[in-house]
Amino acid sequence: MIVQMHLKGLMFDPYNNAYIVILREEDRSEMLPIWVGKAEAGSISLALENVAPPRPMTHDFMKSVLDAYDAKVISVVITDLSENTYFAKIHMMYEDSEYTVDARPSDAIALALRCNAPIFASETVIRKQNTEELEQWLENLKPEDFGKLDS
Amino acid sequence: MMSESQPSAKHKLVEFKVDRVIDEPSTDTRIVVLTQVDSPSDTFPIWVGAAEGSAIKLAMDTMVTPRPMSHDLIKSFIEHLGVAVRRIVITDVKSSTYYATVYLENKGVERTIDARPSDAISLALRAPCPIYITQDVLARRSNDNLDAWLAKMESKNLGTPEVQET
Repeated sequence: MIVQMHLKGLMFDPYNNAYIVILREEDRSEMLPIWVGKAEAGSISLALENVAPPRPMTHDFMKSVLDAYDAKVISVVITDLSENTYFAKIHMMYEDSEYTVDARPSDAIALALRCNAPIFASETVIRKQNTEELEQWLENLKPEDFGKLDS
Repeated sequence: MMSESQPSAKHKLVEFKVDRVIDEPSTDTRIVVLTQVDSPSDTFPIWVGAAEGSAIKLAMDTMVTPRPMSHDLIKSFIEHLGVAVRRIVITDVKSSTYYATVYLENKGVERTIDARPSDAISLALRAPCPIYITQDVLARRSNDNLDAWLAKMESKNLGTPEVQET
């Protein structure tokens, strides 16, 4: 089973010097934090803010390649998040055939936002992810940790 | 779209290869040094971001990462589409920003995609395909970049304490 997720936010994690993308289930309050690198966070942030950079960023270029061949991103699915190994699948339609492409969740999310494609997560990954851990992490945050992304 | 049926001198292409990526640890910048294939002493530096530099370095070292990096994903899409990357060309420079074009081919039809040189080079190394710079860009290359680089290095040295408190 997969459930649709919405991007709730993007935060800096000063402890790990990384960024966290927070996905939230549409109906329930389950949250799914995904740790991503700085460049990936910057790319997701640009897409969130609907900012068109002067030159195409990597995921804009990725979309240009797909657009050139009229290939459509139908959806992306976060399938697994285990220690340092995050898995996602991108479902793509091209010439009446559907293809599934292996990707990191950060690339999948950055592309989905640009293609207006829905983001899903498997229920197993949501269950597996210890949200208590995130809540604890959030409680420890200081106001100054909520900085603006310098992408 | 560039027409290459009648290549004028300024659109003549010169082949380069990636020689090295230089770290600038104090900034978020990397320098990708290209060298001319037929004349290795001719170097062409391009300043790129840290992430872009490391994507190029990973491809140079033919490092296999546990998970596909962004340009591996682009390559994967291209393979699914049955498309070949024929070449990448650094086509223009405007206010110190270089422009690149990626040439894709599918069923005998060529398509061009606008890209930053860093993305184009990252893909070229993974495809793999040749990297070209137009004669025009080479001719318009001044020492501005080199001067800017030196100036930056010098100012950085001024800013760095000579004795580190470590």
